[in-house]
Amino acid sequence: MTNSPEHLAGHESLDLHEVINFKTLCLAKSKLMQGLVFDQDLKDLMQKDVIQSMQALQDLQAIYTKAPFETTVPTHRPTPILN
Amino acid sequence: MDALDPANSLHMPEMADMTFAMDFLIRAKEGVRNIAIALTETVSADARALLKQQLHQGIELHQEISELMIRKKWFHPYELQEQYQLDQLSANQTVEIAKQQLFPEDTRRKGLFDRTPDEHIGGDKA
Repeated sequence: MTNSPEHLAGHESLDLHEVINFKTLCLAKSKLMQGLVFDQDLKDLMQKDVIQSMQALQDLQAIYTKAPFETTVPTHRPTPILN
Repeated sequence: MDALDPANSLHMPEMADMTFAMDFLIRAKEGVRNIAIALTETVSADARALLKQQLHQGIELHQEISELMIRKKWFHPYELQEQYQLDQLSANQTVEIAKQQLFPEDTRRKGLFDRTPDEHIGGDKA
């Protein structure tokens, strides 16, 4: 690998988009399902996944800022559902 | 049989946990595959390093979930007939649950919020 370019390539960025969304859904599910699970060992493993996933998402988001379509992120959803 | 039939509560916690564990296992497995695919599309050194680290973490999580499920007898990778029985039973039971009406017919709750989402742009009329 030569000196790293400022931006990621398009194909890398799109895969990063998919991985981030998958991870986000998994984090939500592991967090919410802990409230439904009875088995303590299973619950503990899900909690471990929650902790790991939060860190993983943070790391992924940091690299995602190098996507060519990167822009400033508003605090709320920017565009209305209806035009 | 309806949702209140006591027969439905037999082994319920165990059955529920088995379903959640199976979901967890499949998510871990899908995660490993997704990251492996992303890795083969990646050239940047820092992105590769991160994905590789998360791939290893995913593989380890997958193993931990499998081991837990095997220990709890929720997953039988070697006793295929046992696994076959579990597969069929969970499918049957889930179909039975799917036939029941579990929730109120009208689940619109927007009136309960102080302000409906997207009210200002007519989102409630979408």
